[in-house]
Amino acid sequence: MPFNRKPQKFNASIREVEIGVGEKAIKIGGENVFPFYTFDGDLGNTPKVGVEISDLGLDNPVPGIAAYYEGCTTAAQMAKKAAEMEGADFLALSLEGGDPNGANKSVDELVAVVKEVAEAVDLPLVVEGSKNVEKDSELLPKVAEVLQGKNVLILSAKEENYKAIGAAAGLAYNQKVGAESAVDINLAKQLNVVTTQLGVKPESIVMNVGTATAGYGYEYVVSTMDRIKAAALAQSDATLQMPIITPVSSETWGVKESVSEEADAPEWGSREERAIAMEIETAAADLVAGSNAVILRHPQSVATIAKMIKELA
Amino acid sequence: MTLFDVVFKGNDAVYGLTESAINDAVAKYGEEKAVGFPDTAYCLPCYYSVTGVKVTNLKELKEALGVVKTLMTREQKLNDAFMSGVATALCAEFIEALKYIDGAAPYAEPYYGHLADAIIRELGVPLVTGDIPGVAVILGKAPTAEDAVALVKSYQAQGILVTMVGECIDQCQSLGLNMGYGVRVVPLGADVTSVIHVVSVALRAALIFGNVEPGDSASLMKYTMERVPAFVNAFAPLNEVIVACGAGAIALGFPVITNEETFRVPKSLIVQPDVSKFNATSLEARDIKIKITKIDIPVAFASAYEGEIVRRGDMQVEFDGSRVDCFELVHHKDMSEVEDHHFELIGPDFDEFPVGSKQSIGYIVEVAGKNMQADFEPVFERKFHSYINCIEGVMHTGQRDMIRIRISKATYEAGFRAKDLAEVLYARIKSEFDAVVDKCQVKIYTKAEDCTKLRHEMAIPMFDKRDERLSSLTDETVDVYYSCIMCQAFSPSHVCVVTPERLGLCGAVSWFDAKATNELDPAGPCQVITKERPINEEIGEYEDVNEAVRKFSQGALEDVSLYSIMEKPMTSCGCFECICGIEPFSNGVIITNREYAGMTPLGMTFSELASMTGGGVQTPGFMGHGKHFIASKKFMKAEGGVERIVWMPKELKDTVAEKLNATAKEVYGIDNFTDMIGDETIATDPETLVAFLTEKGHPALGMDPLM
Repeated sequence: MPFNRKPQKFNASIREVEIGVGEKAIKIGGENVFPFYTFDGDLGNTPKVGVEISDLGLDNPVPGIAAYYEGCTTAAQMAKKAAEMEGADFLALSLEGGDPNGANKSVDELVAVVKEVAEAVDLPLVVEGSKNVEKDSELLPKVAEVLQGKNVLILSAKEENYKAIGAAAGLAYNQKVGAESAVDINLAKQLNVVTTQLGVKPESIVMNVGTATAGYGYEYVVSTMDRIKAAALAQSDATLQMPIITPVSSETWGVKESVSEEADAPEWGSREERAIAMEIETAAADLVAGSNAVILRHPQSVATIAKMIKELA
Repeated sequence: MTLFDVVFKGNDAVYGLTESAINDAVAKYGEEKAVGFPDTAYCLPCYYSVTGVKVTNLKELKEALGVVKTLMTREQKLNDAFMSGVATALCAEFIEALKYIDGAAPYAEPYYGHLADAIIRELGVPLVTGDIPGVAVILGKAPTAEDAVALVKSYQAQGILVTMVGECIDQCQSLGLNMGYGVRVVPLGADVTSVIHVVSVALRAALIFGNVEPGDSASLMKYTMERVPAFVNAFAPLNEVIVACGAGAIALGFPVITNEETFRVPKSLIVQPDVSKFNATSLEARDIKIKITKIDIPVAFASAYEGEIVRRGDMQVEFDGSRVDCFELVHHKDMSEVEDHHFELIGPDFDEFPVGSKQSIGYIVEVAGKNMQADFEPVFERKFHSYINCIEGVMHTGQRDMIRIRISKATYEAGFRAKDLAEVLYARIKSEFDAVVDKCQVKIYTKAEDCTKLRHEMAIPMFDKRDERLSSLTDETVDVYYSCIMCQAFSPSHVCVVTPERLGLCGAVSWFDAKATNELDPAGPCQVITKERPINEEIGEYEDVNEAVRKFSQGALEDVSLYSIMEKPMTSCGCFECICGIEPFSNGVIITNREYAGMTPLGMTFSELASMTGGGVQTPGFMGHGKHFIASKKFMKAEGGVERIVWMPKELKDTVAEKLNATAKEVYGIDNFTDMIGDETIATDPETLVAFLTEKGHPALGMDPLM
């Protein structure tokens, strides 16, 4: 019996969202097939890879990262260097130094870093908050304000602070809003619903549906992304048709496989190799589960994932 | 003169002034002279928002005035008055714009005049989040300077942004009130036309935050009406110009509250002779709710104290409903009958009771709201237990008229009194149920005779009425059911369909709870399911229910029946209180509950049964359910109903006995049905069970086979 191709056709598609301005602006989403199902139809825009830098600079870096950023003393210098990385589509600036339980940098201090970085690079910018909901609802509106006209993606508005961040980023200053929920399709949907009710256009929303490192309860992530894409495409659920961005590195670089020094765990071998492996494995899994963009740190991870996308798409 | 005539007259007067001001300006500067406000991309923002046309010079301004004239129709109709109000506002903007010609700075300390776009973008965020819950526009001269200051401060305390026009500014200045954008008190200007600068803020907000297209005046007014929580407080005396401006405000959805005896227009032009009540009247008229961020009591309030026990020796006073008359009650009333945040103590306070004594208490929380329903009363009331327990050093058990409250000596010594108890109830109800509660007041009774009287004459009859409503509510008498997908985080394809006679399988979500959850959180886990297209009413299958289940399970489930355990049974997450499974030897079913760890006649324990019942899959012959469902007439109705129950753990049997026996009596005429049901003291294997059932003549034995 001859093989008959039966493409799986959907009448719905993922929304296309543009981040950044000018020549280097990127578009994510737009597909009406499951991730990398090129045999079924149009993939829309290929998934994009971002390089993450932090306002705190490098904290106990592995040799590969330390070498890559050698000589950089400011966030702007690091941003410039990161933007040159092979495979980088966008830059992600983490403002983790704003966390009141950490360095607790002031909003003004962080906004100055943001400005400096934005001026240094022309790559599309994604700004990640401090992960503290109160601080972010004060910090991220200011970030949205100073980056007017740059069309950046602000990560993230959560259930607790979506009003402040959604109104500032999505309405007042015309940026893109990242809607972050914790690995649960219904919470993701609910946040999209209330954010659009606020007046933010659906085409200005990118979801961060949460992630984990592969091996750390990661099945939930796959199941959530899978179900979101299925609901968006097969059931035409318009409230779940926003593209997904997944900050991978902030998760994977914190697990013991990436943190333990070789001296403490000699049987595990090189820390750097382990950390890269964790980052690549997780990012690859996120992409095939439905992420439209991933955020990574190590140059080797960025190059590898970019190559994977190129080969598969 | 009608109200319309007053508006028209005021409008005509302002129009005349505008016309001559523009003509004078043209004569002085020529038609090409640029006009506009500083720091705005919206040219003359009000005119631009309403018409979509940007005015940049005097020539265009003159043309614009011609357009304004077309709004000034003079029929004695509401729309004519509104449009004349808008026309008045636009004229005011033109007059104000002329003040800024040649880069002049017409406003100096303390006045602000025109507000820049940047301020609106900055203000927009707290307005959207509710951190600025409203915008007050205070106009004219208050009866006394003290009144003006008191009013401004009352709004300031609520986080409301205050803008002022006219003599109230001088009054506040004379008493040294600190004013300025930083403290959210913005004096706009001395002339009444300066009020346009706050209107300009509202309209630009619609363009920026509402994505309203300039010129789309219908969307513009809808936006300001629904999203800009502004209102006007206009002090007497009102002249025609103020009334005409007021008509403009009302057209945008902003109610006007005044102390002048004038025409009244419900919800729009409101007369409140007592200036000290302007705040409350305005908030109610504009439907503004103030966020409560902190509960003002002398001890801590946190969930950490929820399980705290107050021992007899540490106790200052005890209220014990099992010994003396006590009760707690939520009662919904008319909006006019409730004064928000009012507290009344009828009887002695805690410091008048002897240490360690047992006393009576009755507290009634009276709530009112446009969306409030009597059915929510018990939903709120059930939260009291958790609220009161969260107070440091206060213990609460029971509900309704069987409550017990203990207050510790330390908490008493910290100053905790009846008003603090009321404050906790007020603050929690207002913040948790703000979607439906607009106003809330608390009454506490501590005299034994009052408590006795109110308990028996008010509380108990109300509880009875509620119970009656609950028991008379059937699946047939309601129009909608509710979905509940709270557990999908753990059980992704499970959907509960909650009906009056079949509560959620966790036992915690009744139809009322689901209804309240839906009203309070419309995008939340409980959604309305209609039941208009029955497929098979015997097993409880509806097309609409199936559609909902398909949607909420993201396609994992195709169809469910509400009343059958064999055909398309409802799925279970894993939170079920009980599991019911068929027992083939007797044609019946056994039920076991989570608390019972022992063996069942099926040869499986609760946890073994749970592993095959949960996870959102349909397993014919098994289902998870709540305890209260056991006595329901809808319990596996398709297979014959409760008659099929042949075995339950003894404790569960005792818990449900009264209601189950009543159902069996009513439906089948069987007396003391539970006596026929086996338990672990009688049998944990099928043979012994069937022998027992035969001896008792259990009806299941003679019924059609289940399989």
